[in-house]
Amino acid sequence: MARIRIYDPALCCPTGVCGPSVDPELTRIATAIFLLEKKGVDVKRFNLSSEPQEFVEELKVQKLLEEKGTDALPVVIVNGEVEKIGEYPSNDELASWTGLSKGELSKKDKSKNNITLL
Amino acid sequence: MIKMYPTFSIDSMELTPYLFFSGKGGVGKTSTASATAVGLADLGKKVLIVSTDPASNLQDVFRMDIPPTITPVPTVPGLDAVNLDPEAAAAAYREKLVGPYRDKLPQPVVAQMEEQLSGACTVEIAAFDEFANLLTKEKVTQGYDHIIFDTAPTGHTLRLLQLPSAWTNFLEDNTHGASCLGPLSGLAEKKTLYEATVEALSNKDRTTLMLVTRPDQGALAEGERAARELSDIGIKNQVVIMNGIFEVNSAVDDDIADSIYTKQQQVLKDMSEYMRSQAIYQLPYVPFPLTGIDSLRKFFTWRSEGLGPDYAEDISFLPQVLPGLQAIKEDLMEKSQGVIMTLGKGGVGKTTVATALALSLAKAGKKVHLTTTDPAAHIDQVLKDEHISEFLTVSRIDPTRETAAYREEVLSTSEKELDEEAMAFLEEDLNSPCTEEIAIFRAFAEVVDQANDQFVIIDTAPTGHTLLLLDASQSFSKEVERSSGEVPDSVKKLLPRLRNPEETNVIIVTLPEATPVLEASRLQTDLQRAEMSPSWWVINQSFAATKTTHPVLRARAIEERIWIKQIVDVEAEEAVLIPYMKEELIGSEKLLKLVMEGDNNAN
Repeated sequence: MARIRIYDPALCCPTGVCGPSVDPELTRIATAIFLLEKKGVDVKRFNLSSEPQEFVEELKVQKLLEEKGTDALPVVIVNGEVEKIGEYPSNDELASWTGLSKGELSKKDKSKNNITLL
Repeated sequence: MIKMYPTFSIDSMELTPYLFFSGKGGVGKTSTASATAVGLADLGKKVLIVSTDPASNLQDVFRMDIPPTITPVPTVPGLDAVNLDPEAAAAAYREKLVGPYRDKLPQPVVAQMEEQLSGACTVEIAAFDEFANLLTKEKVTQGYDHIIFDTAPTGHTLRLLQLPSAWTNFLEDNTHGASCLGPLSGLAEKKTLYEATVEALSNKDRTTLMLVTRPDQGALAEGERAARELSDIGIKNQVVIMNGIFEVNSAVDDDIADSIYTKQQQVLKDMSEYMRSQAIYQLPYVPFPLTGIDSLRKFFTWRSEGLGPDYAEDISFLPQVLPGLQAIKEDLMEKSQGVIMTLGKGGVGKTTVATALALSLAKAGKKVHLTTTDPAAHIDQVLKDEHISEFLTVSRIDPTRETAAYREEVLSTSEKELDEEAMAFLEEDLNSPCTEEIAIFRAFAEVVDQANDQFVIIDTAPTGHTLLLLDASQSFSKEVERSSGEVPDSVKKLLPRLRNPEETNVIIVTLPEATPVLEASRLQTDLQRAEMSPSWWVINQSFAATKTTHPVLRARAIEERIWIKQIVDVEAEEAVLIPYMKEELIGSEKLLKLVMEGDNNAN
């Protein structure tokens, strides 16, 4: 099982609704991770403003921060390898890392699997 | 019919061990809390007065330095005081988080962390943390009969603490949830502490909420909002203190005194059912400043009866000649476009000043757009004058509607992508108080963007913090470029425009009284941090600029001179003075008179 670690820039909130505009990237990634967690995928997201220790402990992240400053964020590390610098993974990438289907990473299609237990 | 309530008196009331004084700036919250503390100590009780207000003037009231450790007040046996500074606590919290990483992470990275940890809620939560610590420390509380707080937690803080997600967020360390709880994060043992605090607050045998307000519409509306909010959260033991009830002196014939009296009585008559149903006590409008122990001891027993016209000496009121509002108008007449913002705390008249300036510029043939956030701005009446309406357009920023629209926008763009659980999670983030600030900020940016071929006059502004958050460590433009969300053009242009004194005039409005001047000064500092500098101070509703003969008002006028001098000498680049107006300033004719009045010559 893939081990995914995402190192965010300092964010007010993980969905990004507090910025001057809504960043659909942030809401997308927040949702995708939310759904990955529910599927039991080993995925963690660290916010610079509340979890700086994680940024220091992961030497690869610390090195990137020294080279590129905050532009390096977000950094995505999958199974110990840096996969993304300065941008979030697409749902395709998340799907290929985890072996899940792309459809499982966005809103569930309610017309399918519409089994109600009554 | 004359509205009278029993006078607030500590002898005749059963007071609980904890007394929280709540109310907006300038209503006399700290004075009332301090006078209560002194009164109880004089009755032989052991009393502690606590301030958690970052703008606390407890040291002015007691005329002594009040440190963040419990200190006896030497002139009042039995009374101790402590000044807890939540801003310092928030800064300490920030440093605790950021400090260890100064050497470990590059400087710009550290700067980004600090910027995100400087929110207003950080301070508010830190304040709550301070008094939770105090309230639940038995070793401290046992020694006192009464502990008096000159501030109260807001409903928002209490609600936040009751969100189960607030706790699961930090206790389980997942990535969801409201981020305003920063100062509490990671401290699992605090859960019990806060629960105990909220419980103490809702226990009517232990805690009374003293809602201090004044007989004016704004203060009453604010008081009612706080009363309802805190009652909803379980703090139902509330008492209303109606401060500043003015009594007419039958020995003096003075139309200004009559007008104050009439206005107050009208406001009390129109008071909402909700407020009427509260236990209300009154305190008089006193002619002396409530600083120093002697004044505090007089406060609850002072009566205006029998004051002769010689109570306050006949003196020349004004320290110097100050121009009226028309000086600002004349300055602005040299331009034909730009942003004009009137700033100040609620109740000082920033909407009135904004509207009067808008009308006078429009009347002089300038194109003006006026925007107000004040629901009571009587915009319709302003527009009745046809000659003016040719040049004047008006709009309103409604915070509730803007926030709802922003929520709607966010939710509808995400709806396609998210399932129900994820939507619930996004909605929770949208409940954070930043949402309202951002929503208003966007509406504000859009209005300011219209200032290209006309004046835009607006009676609100984002806080320095919001501007700084966007700007800190020069990240604003970078953030704008990087964000893949569509940043409106109006937002991109906003900050450079607000900082340019050629394009933007910031006008600070205040009253010539202690708390409003101190608050205005803090506003100015906040703006200066964001590199905006106010060009004018408007001193509104000055009795010193009238010819009142009422002894109480004359005494007030003499007192005003200290604050007017402070503004002219220390605070303001340029200052104007508006006399107290007898009439309600509704309708364009009356508002225009505000700008037409001549210089306020000393007389």
